[in-house]
Amino acid sequence: MKKLIAGALAALLPLAAGAAYPERPIKLIVPWAAGGDTDNIFRPFAPLLQKQLGETVVIANVGGASGTRGAKEAKDSPPDGYTLYAVHDYIHSTYWAGVADVNYTDFEPICLISSTASVLTASPKTPWKSWQEFLADAKKRPGQITVGATLASTSHFFPALIEQATGVKFKYVSYEGLAPRMNAILGGHVDLTDSNLTQKGKVDAGQLKFLAIATEKRHPEMPNVPTLKELGVNVVYDVNRGIMVPKGAPAGVIAKLESSCAAAANEPAFAQAMKLQGTDVRYMGRPEYAKWLKQNDDLNRNLAKDLGLLKR
Amino acid sequence: MYELLAAGLVNIAQVKYLLPLFFGTLAGVVGGALPGVTITMTIIVVLPFTFGLDPLQGLAAMTGVYVGGSAGGLVTAVLLGIPGTPAAIATVFDGHPMAKKGEPGRAIWLGVWASFFGGLLGGVFLIGATAPLAAIALQFGPWEFFSLFILAVSMVAGLTEASLLKGLIAGGLGLIVTVLGSDPVMGQERLTLGIDFVKGGIDFLPVLIGVFAFAQIMGEIERSGGKAQLAGSLERGVKLTVSHAKVIWEILSRPFQLLWFAFVGVLIGVLPAIGASAASMMAYDQAKKISRRPEKFGSGIPEGIIASESSNNANVGGSLVTIMAFGIPGDSVTAVMLGALTIHGIQSGPLFISQNPQLAYGIFAAYLLAHPIMVLILALGARWMLRIVTLPKAALFPVVLVLCVIGAYALNNTMANVYVLLVFGVLGYLMVKFGFPLAPFILGVILGDQIEINLVRSIMTDSNPWLFITRPISGGLLLASVLSVLFALWQHRRMQKKTAAADGDSDF
Repeated sequence: MKKLIAGALAALLPLAAGAAYPERPIKLIVPWAAGGDTDNIFRPFAPLLQKQLGETVVIANVGGASGTRGAKEAKDSPPDGYTLYAVHDYIHSTYWAGVADVNYTDFEPICLISSTASVLTASPKTPWKSWQEFLADAKKRPGQITVGATLASTSHFFPALIEQATGVKFKYVSYEGLAPRMNAILGGHVDLTDSNLTQKGKVDAGQLKFLAIATEKRHPEMPNVPTLKELGVNVVYDVNRGIMVPKGAPAGVIAKLESSCAAAANEPAFAQAMKLQGTDVRYMGRPEYAKWLKQNDDLNRNLAKDLGLLKR
Repeated sequence: MYELLAAGLVNIAQVKYLLPLFFGTLAGVVGGALPGVTITMTIIVVLPFTFGLDPLQGLAAMTGVYVGGSAGGLVTAVLLGIPGTPAAIATVFDGHPMAKKGEPGRAIWLGVWASFFGGLLGGVFLIGATAPLAAIALQFGPWEFFSLFILAVSMVAGLTEASLLKGLIAGGLGLIVTVLGSDPVMGQERLTLGIDFVKGGIDFLPVLIGVFAFAQIMGEIERSGGKAQLAGSLERGVKLTVSHAKVIWEILSRPFQLLWFAFVGVLIGVLPAIGASAASMMAYDQAKKISRRPEKFGSGIPEGIIASESSNNANVGGSLVTIMAFGIPGDSVTAVMLGALTIHGIQSGPLFISQNPQLAYGIFAAYLLAHPIMVLILALGARWMLRIVTLPKAALFPVVLVLCVIGAYALNNTMANVYVLLVFGVLGYLMVKFGFPLAPFILGVILGDQIEINLVRSIMTDSNPWLFITRPISGGLLLASVLSVLFALWQHRRMQKKTAAADGDSDF
């Protein structure tokens, strides 16, 4: 009984206080399942941000409908700075592909923090030992090789770009987020997926195969993985992650978040954590990020159009 | 391996690890016992305290929360008839009736000791069979998941009470709840009627609290008619003390059942995205099927409590398997644990055990030690917790209802969940009033999403429908579901005949 009362008090206390932002825990919506790559990147970032803000930052995994369920929830949250939204390039692709009405313009950008190169990844149950073997097989069996993807998100666009560049045809299966996709690909229930160097531990252990990486040059963390470019496939693709808040947040809150995000993203601990995830720290402040978002949106619109996915 | 485990146990037994483990377990028990506070929420509250600690101290605290939380839910389930965590749903079915019959002490301790033994058996599976269990998990593609969930839904037939039809309707209603909101693949809105808070879909937890808490409390208030009664029916005398030897014997005299319940828990834990709530309900259903007195289930018999509690703690062991084998978290609790590893700069993944044996076996050891600590905490706290049944209802129920509302609000800090709680509270109350069982309804809500998404994935992967039957595991599971339904129908008829005969006896 005492415990019940104590619990009630603990839950009510934050409401009783009243001071400058932030004065109670802040929720960071990650619109994918726990243990996926977005989750892996924001988990180590959250405590660093928390140190700067002086309040607990709690990650809420709100997955579903190609990440747009979390986006909708973020958009509908009160713009008071207590709901942050962990976003990546999918916000543009899902908008143009018509999955959701949520657009990047529904939010105020705070900062961009990271960039992760896409890697075409094959199940250990597939027979291919190299990109060349895969390509030959894919050409022989159009529409039969399965790709686990979050439909209309980056994990769909990246293989679609490869389809377009090489003339092969894949069959897409809906797996929301990298964590469920990993279970499927380790067990051989799909043949291919878009992943990234966050998964390199599994490659080291022989549980996964990286076929090719979509960077300009080979990545220092995984130098034996060829780039698509050197294989004659002109595809360079990465997924950029940042933080936004619902439109209408007070200027003071945005300024506090921006300065905290800058300090957190520049901490050596973050660089160290990102190195483990095969991800580059790519920091952009608010004005620069806003400009970049605009460019990225146009780029994604054109991509969707080229890939025949444009629905607007 | 055993030297490593022994070294891990010796290591964890140091004060600097025991303290975080103890406080983690304590936080878990309290969080688990509060309806509406999930284990994930508790672990998030504990997380900031672990930043300053070394990795193993932090992981020990979190393992403690996990184990303590899985056991803590039984307290509320038994004493109030409201599951403290989703994992304790099946504990309500027999735990609460037993408490009402005047044996709350026995019900609690049956649950605690079943959690203890189930959890330790889960630990044996975790440590001894990580690799084979992980291999089983990989065999599960969308077809297998679909068939497994169909098997789970087939339990509706076993969980219905008097009327099979009402049970089926309740299960169907539960499935419909999962259709509300946006579809899982392309985000099309379904049955939202243009209402904003339905668009995001219905969260499971407020539904669970609403259905159980309101139905339970409103029913009690109605029965007592507003009189200042005590929460426990004291007419028959409430026995708070209990003989531990007797309770432990009640559990250990069923070694094969215990082992089977633990195995069910571990297996469900290994498979991602299912969770302890399904594990405990599946174990409960199995217990009813193998029992020689299935008609007694739901009236407050020990088997029901043992099945539910042993499997939900073994489930924790299972969900640690995938994190050890692949670095993939099976649920949000293990995801937070993985995040803690990342914060300390440790790469999780398939090489985790071989690269960080001290840490891996430290976690195993913490898992094993958390169980006696959990028993100790509940032993110290039981005296106070049991007092709940001697409180006046007029004082207790408002507090519980307020806690439920706070829990629903705190889930996402939105009012939407409070409305969901209210709507489903009324629905749950009406269901109980008109004799619709709650268990099939909750089962439908738990499983609907997963059935749908895995059906979609199977068809997207291969349009051949025969694969559901020709893939051996999937086919086996579907066959098991058919048998499960037939068996339940047969049992149902036999039970009805028995009751009819018994009624006849008393009439003449």
